[in-house]
Amino acid sequence: MAKKFLSLLVFSLSVGLGLTACSQNSANLESQKLTLTGSSTVAPLVSEIAKKFEAENPEVRIDVQTGGSSRGLADAAQSLADIGMISRALKDSETDKFKSFAIAQDGIGIILESSNPVQSLNDRQIVDIYTGKIDNWQEVGGADAPITVVNKAEGRSTLELFLKYFELENSQIQADVIIGDNQQGIKTVAGNKNAIGYVSIGAAERDISAGVPLQLLSVGGIEASTETVQNGSFPLSRPLTLVTKETPSGLTKEFIEFAQSEKVHDLVEAQNFVPISPNKLVQKP
Amino acid sequence: MIVNEKQQGIDRIISLLFWFVPLLITAIFIWILGDIVRGGIGQLNWAFLTTAPIDTGRQGGIAPILVSTLLILGVCLVVSLPIGIGTAILLAEFTSNSNWFGRLVRRSLDVLAGVPSIVFGLFGNAFFSKTLGLGFSILSGGLTLACMVLPILIRSTEAGLSAVPIEYRLSSASLGISRTSTLWHLLLPAATPGLLVGLVLGIGRAIAETAALIFTSGYVDRMPTSLLDSGRSLSIHIFDLSMNVTGGDANAYGSALVLILILLLINAIAAWLASKYNRSL
Repeated sequence: MAKKFLSLLVFSLSVGLGLTACSQNSANLESQKLTLTGSSTVAPLVSEIAKKFEAENPEVRIDVQTGGSSRGLADAAQSLADIGMISRALKDSETDKFKSFAIAQDGIGIILESSNPVQSLNDRQIVDIYTGKIDNWQEVGGADAPITVVNKAEGRSTLELFLKYFELENSQIQADVIIGDNQQGIKTVAGNKNAIGYVSIGAAERDISAGVPLQLLSVGGIEASTETVQNGSFPLSRPLTLVTKETPSGLTKEFIEFAQSEKVHDLVEAQNFVPISPNKLVQKP
Repeated sequence: MIVNEKQQGIDRIISLLFWFVPLLITAIFIWILGDIVRGGIGQLNWAFLTTAPIDTGRQGGIAPILVSTLLILGVCLVVSLPIGIGTAILLAEFTSNSNWFGRLVRRSLDVLAGVPSIVFGLFGNAFFSKTLGLGFSILSGGLTLACMVLPILIRSTEAGLSAVPIEYRLSSASLGISRTSTLWHLLLPAATPGLLVGLVLGIGRAIAETAALIFTSGYVDRMPTSLLDSGRSLSIHIFDLSMNVTGGDANAYGSALVLILILLLINAIAAWLASKYNRSL
């Protein structure tokens, strides 16, 4: 019996060692490899950017992993990943540990049907509408009609951003309609003159210019547009950011510059994010 | 003996109830399956299975993801089957029920079987990816899943072996057949149905796994060229399409349908193997 255990132990040890040896060999072979981990909001966009980068540089391999913003920071700090991805700006306490590079902005706008006479709502009113304390447009200066509250389905990054800005829990929201993606939200609000919803600003602007009957409300007195999202003044927005532990060099630097360049603007817009303007192509202090 | 009317009425109600429960379960299964088929059948075609995802999976197919999934499952089975069957034989044939070691192993397995998959994921990430240096790879993912399915595999194989009547072993011994031959030619074939049940449950748990794989096999949707490449599994692809990619719902349904079809296929093969073994005995 003891012999059997011993041989099993030896076997498993040798397998373990063999595997370790293999992996070390392959690590030496693949010096042209970049690993990114982090936010699940940023990961789909960066995957697409990575594919385009690989197509231009066939000898490079870029692996994009997810697991959340905090994982991106942790892996970058421990050098497990070359670059971390976070769906926010760095906090003050983090700026001395990481270098950060915004690659796109995620901004959401509150939308109403274009014939709705309400021109602006303050934060308090929006919170009251979404929590059901205000349920008629008359109370905020509109027509005498019940408000149709359109909310996002669980798990959407726009929902997260909305809840965080208005300091709400999803369970507090009294929604009449739950929608999935931006297109569905736009169609729902454009087809119901008593509805209020929120969608990605990029998607809403494109549809408004295509003649869809919608209006974007300003938030906190700031007009909702790709410009105000781009320059960071619009409050309902967040930068999608790449972070590194050291000042980037070599392949890491090339990839970050590529991700900030105009070459990826089509990819950024395809994911319903707003590209950062060219004059913001500088590292934040 | 005359059964009175009241008794008959109660019998009828109870048998109705007993019919109702399996009907309810079948109905739920058909509902889920119907929903996935309805949403996914439009996506399912040869090109979907043989092309790479485009535009974060909204367009294109799932070829690399399908390959990664099967590789992860393959690694999981190659590792877990020999260890699992070996441990089950040790527990069922070479340790008595009162043996402290056997009791310890059984208790540990039962605890492991109930551990949430995310815990296995974090363990796999810490041990296989970091300590052993396998990184985000199909190998890390497969090994993590192997740890996850081992308890199920061992316990059901052990149950299969224990269900073989003691007389088999006694008559085999009285004929002078060695213990190894008895095990190989008699006990293992007899325990195969139990093993297959464990295998199907294990594969089901492994192929549906999302949480453990995000931290081990990773998110990369490129066609894997080695077991040390990171590869996205179908379950992670479905999760990503439905949660992180707007407009990815149609292909999420398509991928879910493929996942279900793979599961049904594996179930059918296992059922066929089991009936084959039963006949050959």
